[in-house]
Amino acid sequence: MLWLALFLPRLPLDARPDLPSAAACRPPQPRAVVELDRVLVADEAAQAAGVVPGLRLASARARLPELVALPRDPAQEAAALARLACWAGSFTSEVSLAPPATLLLELSSSLRLFGGVEALSARIVNEVLAQGFSVQPALAPTPLAAQWLAFAARPAAAGFPAVAECANNAYFVCRDLAALPLQLGTLPLSLLDLGEDRQARLAAFGARTLADVLALPRAGLARRVGAGFAADLARALGERPDPRPRFAFPEHFREAIELPARCENAPALAFAARRLIAALCGWLAVRAAGIHECVLELRCERGSAATPALTLALTFAAATRDPARIARVLDERLARLQLPAPVESLCLRADAVEALAGQTTSLFAAAGSNSRDRSGDTATGVAELVERLQARLGEQCVYRLVAVSEHRPEKATQKAAFQLAQRAHAKRRKATPAGAGEPAHGAVPAPAAASLGARPLCLLPEPQALAEQGGRPQRGGPLRLVAGPERIESGWWDEGEPGAVGDVRRDYFIALSARAEWLWIFRSDAGWFLHGLFA
Amino acid sequence: MPAAVHLDDILARADVWRGDALAAAPQPGVASGFAELDAELPGGGWARGALTELLPTRTGVGELSLLLPALAQVSEDELAWVVCVAPPHPLHAPALAQGGVALERLLVVGAPGRDAAWSCARALATEGVGAVVAWLPAADATLLRRLHLAAEGSRALFFVFRPGACAATASPAPLRLQIDGEGEQLRVSILKRRGGGRPAPLSLAIRRPASLAAAGAQAQPPAASPVARIGAGRRAAPPAASSDSSSRPASPHALACPVPAAPAARRAS
Repeated sequence: MLWLALFLPRLPLDARPDLPSAAACRPPQPRAVVELDRVLVADEAAQAAGVVPGLRLASARARLPELVALPRDPAQEAAALARLACWAGSFTSEVSLAPPATLLLELSSSLRLFGGVEALSARIVNEVLAQGFSVQPALAPTPLAAQWLAFAARPAAAGFPAVAECANNAYFVCRDLAALPLQLGTLPLSLLDLGEDRQARLAAFGARTLADVLALPRAGLARRVGAGFAADLARALGERPDPRPRFAFPEHFREAIELPARCENAPALAFAARRLIAALCGWLAVRAAGIHECVLELRCERGSAATPALTLALTFAAATRDPARIARVLDERLARLQLPAPVESLCLRADAVEALAGQTTSLFAAAGSNSRDRSGDTATGVAELVERLQARLGEQCVYRLVAVSEHRPEKATQKAAFQLAQRAHAKRRKATPAGAGEPAHGAVPAPAAASLGARPLCLLPEPQALAEQGGRPQRGGPLRLVAGPERIESGWWDEGEPGAVGDVRRDYFIALSARAEWLWIFRSDAGWFLHGLFA
Repeated sequence: MPAAVHLDDILARADVWRGDALAAAPQPGVASGFAELDAELPGGGWARGALTELLPTRTGVGELSLLLPALAQVSEDELAWVVCVAPPHPLHAPALAQGGVALERLLVVGAPGRDAAWSCARALATEGVGAVVAWLPAADATLLRRLHLAAEGSRALFFVFRPGACAATASPAPLRLQIDGEGEQLRVSILKRRGGGRPAPLSLAIRRPASLAAAGAQAQPPAASPVARIGAGRRAAPPAASSDSSSRPASPHALACPVPAAPAARRAS
């Protein structure tokens, strides 16, 4: 067993995501969370001005008049911790909460997948930091030892042997159970989360570090300090089992986040939404699932029914649980959004979840990416491209073309929504291409080329009338008819339907203009028309 | 006596380049389907990972048909995607299929204005895209340079169509072709290429919908004063083969005189 404890020392403050726009346009405002008229947690700017935890609010205001004092909100802290637990599901299924502010992840079964303990723990810590939490991590073979080590935070400067560095953040690493007493021994007792009276009693024994306590006879210690403390010691050292309740991942994903200040700038919301997306992806990983669509609700102006929540539906070409991909699509949507009113909270929900297997890595470690399945790879690459283009340009602007066997040229090309190639292939017989009308169910991949006359590469959306002089069509001079006629007629069955071509009677010719353009023109009752270009 | 080193061996080395020869391309090109053109292009075909600028004098001379063999190879043989950005007219799927492009790997992006260039850059950065064909009439040199840099990081073919009038202005594209129709042939002049030299314009026999020779000298419209009226009950003519066009004036499908427009036709216009 290998437990990674993530202690979040500033959770009351970090639970409210700071908006980057606020930091960008003004000097960062010092913030502190206040409980019972005393400062509980203060950020760096406030601490630099001497606002330390435990200070009275009045004194803090005297030192730093512009201090933003926020009331403590335990519900929000718990929600933030639960969101982080959801996010941690992308690394391990064994996640456990240790309230008020610690998260425990069991990593031993994930090491191989993520490339070793150093790589995995560094990645986890970096992602926590990227979500805007400050964190004190620690790795230990038992959960309680990891918790204590994380709580103790900065390793003593006196050359602690097993320390890893991550993001300028040194933290305890202890993987060996036998070495645990030695490692724990260096911790001062004052750092442990013991009660006041226990601290005083142990200090009366002359014990200042855990090593001093461990040197004492265990039975006597249990009698004099309490059985609970002795049992904790035994759990921390792995002498007693320490079962932890697993974090129960919610059945449906619906997470909301309150913004610390009303936000009028849509792109600035992306940062707050990152946390929701991270939680969603972890939650999906635990269920081995992916989403085709998720909905981000932007709630404006608390309590006013006049402005309903703004919903952004993010759609994906293929089921996904890649946070970077979801975030890219969201960024494109937010960049184009005009907020009707300042936003107060965000809510992300995923209604339709579908199974999505994880990626299989190759049995033999391959150096390059050649070993990966190329066709599957390219399809997901293009799917991501389609999502980004659609998010920016609108869904109707990005499409595939389907050739339909239909004699009227206007109907022979139909736009189809993007599908992954494998699925399109499997369903080709049955599926109706999206966006196609009712005759699309006779859609065939491509009519045999021989059965069809020459067709132009570009077809004008509307036939253009051509002038006629002496019975010859004109376009920059008389047109020379090279081939034809090809009679295309009839179509009474969809006459009168909106957007339909209807009944036609046309004789098509291939014509060459004096300017060397190859044109597809037709003659109908109304005269000559240009219909296509052999570009 | 040391073995004699032939001058030809030295000239064959990759790092020796003769001033009168074409530059070697970093990646072998995609065969254009026209041997005369391949011989004149650095790398022996359309260059991958580089901007190729095509300047047709007007749309309809056959500029897209010139690319069709390469696009067909990319989409059918390499199973890569072809992305068309901002085509000026809707593309016609049956014609593309006839040209050999796999429609299931064709993506059309109707992006107006500056979004077109952005879409090109995104498509070029995507794994699995084998060719990007874009119509950028309003692109300036800065934008083209940026797109060329974006193309350099990819393995895709990148073609940009601009109006023929742009031939006079400078462009950062390493390969620029001016395209004009010449009867049944396509006249391609290489305005700029890596390796210098400006060869004589090439006449390429691209695929045309019909052959002028078969049509013969008969360049007349069906009838000087068309008389027959298109009968509603008549069967549709068989698909036009160029061979029966010679007998057209006598065919029963000779065209109608300019009668007052029928409702169907009025809608079509």
